Amino acid sequence: MIPLQHFLLVGAILFCLGLFAVITRKNAIQILMGIELMINASILNLVAFGKYDKINNTGQIFALFIIVLAAAAVAVALVIILNLYKRAKTIDPNQTDTLQG
Amino acid sequence: MENIFNSQQLLYLALLALSVPLVAFISSLIFKKWAAIIGILSMGISFISSLILFLSIWKKQILHFSFDWIHLSNVKIGAGVLLNDLTVIMLLLISFIALLVTIYSVEYMRKDGLKYRYFAYLSLFCFAMLAVVMANNLFVVYIFWELVGFSSYLLIGFWFSKEKAVQASKKAFIMNRIGDVGFLIGLMILLTQFHTLDIDALFGSGNLIASSFVKNEIWATPFGVLPHYWLSIVGFCFFAGAIAKSAQFPLHTWLPDAMEGPTAVSSLIHAATMVAAGVFLLLRVAPLFDQTVLNTMAIIGLFTAFMAASIAVTQSDIKKVLAFSTISQLGFMVLAVGIQNQAAAIFHLVTHAFFKCLLFLAAGMIIHQLHHIKAKNQSNFNEQDLAIMGGFRKYMPITAVVFLMAAFALSGLPFTSGYLSKDAILVSVFEWAEVRGGFYWLFPLVVSITSWLTTFYIFRVVFKVFFGEFTLPKRLNKTEIELHLKDPNAWMKIPVIILALFCFGFFFALNPFHLEGAWIYQAFNLKPIIDTTYHILVPIYINGLSLVLIFITYQVYAKKAFSFNLERSFLYKFSYNQWYFNQFYDVFLMRLVIFKARCYYWFDQKVIDGFIHFIIKLVIILSAIAAWIDRYIIDGFVNSVALFVSLLGAGLRRLQSGKLQHYYIWMLLLFLTFMIFKIII
Repeated sequence: MIPLQHFLLVGAILFCLGLFAVITRKNAIQILMGIELMINASILNLVAFGKYDKINNTGQIFALFIIVLAAAAVAVALVIILNLYKRAKTIDPNQTDTLQG
Repeated sequence: MENIFNSQQLLYLALLALSVPLVAFISSLIFKKWAAIIGILSMGISFISSLILFLSIWKKQILHFSFDWIHLSNVKIGAGVLLNDLTVIMLLLISFIALLVTIYSVEYMRKDGLKYRYFAYLSLFCFAMLAVVMANNLFVVYIFWELVGFSSYLLIGFWFSKEKAVQASKKAFIMNRIGDVGFLIGLMILLTQFHTLDIDALFGSGNLIASSFVKNEIWATPFGVLPHYWLSIVGFCFFAGAIAKSAQFPLHTWLPDAMEGPTAVSSLIHAATMVAAGVFLLLRVAPLFDQTVLNTMAIIGLFTAFMAASIAVTQSDIKKVLAFSTISQLGFMVLAVGIQNQAAAIFHLVTHAFFKCLLFLAAGMIIHQLHHIKAKNQSNFNEQDLAIMGGFRKYMPITAVVFLMAAFALSGLPFTSGYLSKDAILVSVFEWAEVRGGFYWLFPLVVSITSWLTTFYIFRVVFKVFFGEFTLPKRLNKTEIELHLKDPNAWMKIPVIILALFCFGFFFALNPFHLEGAWIYQAFNLKPIIDTTYHILVPIYINGLSLVLIFITYQVYAKKAFSFNLERSFLYKFSYNQWYFNQFYDVFLMRLVIFKARCYYWFDQKVIDGFIHFIIKLVIILSAIAAWIDRYIIDGFVNSVALFVSLLGAGLRRLQSGKLQHYYIWMLLLFLTFMIFKIII
């Protein structure tokens, strides 16, 4: 039996890696990948905590929903990136700063 | 004549005579080219109206029209017309002489560029002067009295480019103002005592003056009481007004200076009419004077007559001689009022107006012709100087004849108007002195001397100007024919010839030796006529000596048989410098006034202005402080708030970098902060 702490630690590491990727990458697709990492970290948490729930498999069901939603989000995000590329000929978020104040 | 015009029509006639010169004044200033014709026409209409008024009113009736003008609680001041004997004789005199002088001026002022103004001012003067004699209320008299003074000021300073003329006009105006203050104070005292200034109510039918009396050192009237000396004061006040206007000592110095004006003006205003206004005022208010005032009046009149005559003896300017002669003759009139022979004063006023006006006009003819010669030869001499004249009788015969006529009248020789009027005064001075005796015998003595001085100075002028050698050609290095000295044209000749006729005694009395028979004298004489020996003796001894004097003068100035060499003597200098009155006033009054003015100026500059400047500086300093506070504290606060906000904005602005990951970091930090705070709290 793997203790809960390990799951949480792995989840935290995953989240931090995702966060790091989101903040530092210069490529919008890599940022998207970072977001996926963070979503996965949260799914891992949900599944890990699900073990302690009175009702069975609620964590897994949440995970499934989140995966579906993440897939939808990725589809939308990729379309946005595609449009961004059409418009700005780049997908570096640092260079597309036309909305700056 | 009463049947022809009723009193209503006479009123309209009087208003016509009065208003036509006013209309002429305004229209002369508008229709500049027609000014002379407008002037003559208006004077003509005034003269005809005055003549009709004279014929209707003289010795027949008194007309009095008045309407309420100012109505204060218990004081009514009316404005209107009072037509009595004195008014109509003055009306006739003024309008007649004004008409002649206006005609004369057409030629005299022909070359003057501003002559439309001259005729306008002349009309204004006539309007004011007619109003003075017609007004029924002393307040209205005062108003027009001032207007007369003002128009005189305008005319003296007519040639305003001459510095002397400007000075003279100012002097005349200021001197008159001194007298006017007296007049005004007199009016106020009368208003206090009688609650009216209506001449008819005071001196005529109402006779308020007669109903007032002095008892127990109290002057009582139906309206109030005052200490008795106020009666004398009010008399002196009116006398002060007359002194200034009639150029009596001590306010006489303006009249000789007024000769800077055009000669025709001198003749009308400063010889015949305006200066007589002072005497006219004295006659109007004559019942007001008590014995103190009358005695003062007699003394001042006598002194002025003598002083001016003694000055006239040595003057070298022909107009100055005539000016001092006018002062002297006015002194005679004031003396006559002072000794309560008003008939003689009025009579002399009328006859003097004619012959003195004539003297001035004749002098004007000489000056006019000499001025032409001067302009033609581009030479530089004073055309009024007696020294350059002489022998003019051959070249200007008519001028010589009329001047001689007027000189005869001025000296009071038989068959002239002056004989009647001047001897009327002389005789009454003798009678007056006989009643009083003692010290009062000085009066007849001085009057006789003055009378001889008059003869002397006027014949000195006659012989210097018209007799003797014709020296002018030598002076200018020309021949006599080249100079072309002759009588002026008819514009000037006709008025002087008409005036010369009025120098004859026949116009005033059928028997030119019987002064009580003179119609003007009879009309105003209140005293019963008692033929004393003086009526025979005085004229004989005055005229006898006058004739001797004329002979001596002829020998001295015409024949140059012998000459006095008095020019270095003190008396000559004293007389030539006009008794040093101007210098006296300059030293003692002018300097005092100027010193006082300087003191006030200093006070004004240093103290009042200094105080104001101090306040100004104080305010400037205070406002500088206020400005500093405003700028640095109030504005500084506002600005610092604005700066803070803008700095904050600038800082926050940087959050909106537009870079996706920055937003993300901020979001993260905010979330973390929030969480940390949540955990801590």
